[in-house]
Amino acid sequence: MIVAQRKTIPELVDILKDHKRILVMGCGTCVTVCLAGGEREVSILSSALRIAARVRDIDFEIEELTIERQCDNVFIETAAEAVERNDAVLSLGCGAGVQALAERFMKKPVYAGLDTAFLGILEERGVWTEKCAACGSCVVHNYGGLCPVTRCAKHMLNGPCGGSREDRCEVRPDRPCVWQLIFQRLKGIGQLDRLTRMAPPKNWEPALDGGCRVIVREDHRI
Amino acid sequence: MKPLQVVVFYCVNCVDVNALRLECREQGMTAATFVSLPCSGKVNLLYLLKAVENGADGVFLLTCPKQACRFLEGSSRAENRVRAVDDLLDETGLGKGHIRVLQIQDRDSAGLSVTEMVHHLEGITAGADQTA
Repeated sequence: MIVAQRKTIPELVDILKDHKRILVMGCGTCVTVCLAGGEREVSILSSALRIAARVRDIDFEIEELTIERQCDNVFIETAAEAVERNDAVLSLGCGAGVQALAERFMKKPVYAGLDTAFLGILEERGVWTEKCAACGSCVVHNYGGLCPVTRCAKHMLNGPCGGSREDRCEVRPDRPCVWQLIFQRLKGIGQLDRLTRMAPPKNWEPALDGGCRVIVREDHRI
Repeated sequence: MKPLQVVVFYCVNCVDVNALRLECREQGMTAATFVSLPCSGKVNLLYLLKAVENGADGVFLLTCPKQACRFLEGSSRAENRVRAVDDLLDETGLGKGHIRVLQIQDRDSAGLSVTEMVHHLEGITAGADQTA
């Protein structure tokens, strides 16, 4: 899922200070799961903004709304009336959701309330870790299902780098060395021979370096 | 002087609310609202934040001692949530200290907890006076 975190209250107040009626809009998908932009977080943030406005003597009128998915026009449409009656929208969706709202409501300022961080998983309660860099050409099948592009601090496809201490990454000692994990995983599934093959240079063209990416599925187009 | 608005969330397993109400009245905390929780771990960031948003000068959460929580993690969770709200209130510009956890050692110690609350509220008032 997409993992994000809230911007600070002073940042948000600064972004919103020129508006009076503000719609704080949550998204019921990824950011709900990562506890950053769901219905509950919308209420918490709205409450905090009201307190901040009172302290700073700013006149904010805040409306709260959470839609199923901000990145889908079918659901965005359900928010049209609420958007219409407010001066600005503070989106608690990911970057995709913010842009989908901005493109749908051309005359309404739409601001990001979250910093979209990465594609990751819930590792333990309250801890999310990055697992995928969305590089556009997946190589994890060569590494026992673990991604060195994302999880190796040096993005090494032919690792390990030799700098790890015990099983810890030398760049981030609080994280395990993914090459240690890859070794253990390949050993466990009897595929250690994969490590004897040299990985060729990765094609980065499908990644963000090639510009904004588009996928077209002709079989789904009318 | 207008009495300070106080909201007291309490775990029903450690607080005798009638004794607590009485003690609050006796110690001059006349504008207190009491909210019962089946366990302090049930408290949500929003409950605490809403209390402040709606005008509470001080919010208290009365919990069992950590090792005595009958739901095991309730008191620890409550403490983490209070810390999160305290940080958030600091971000809003209201400052820290408007919300506090008090661990209740036994059901008869309501008086002690109220005394602690009163002292804490005096601290908040003094801070507000200095700011003004």
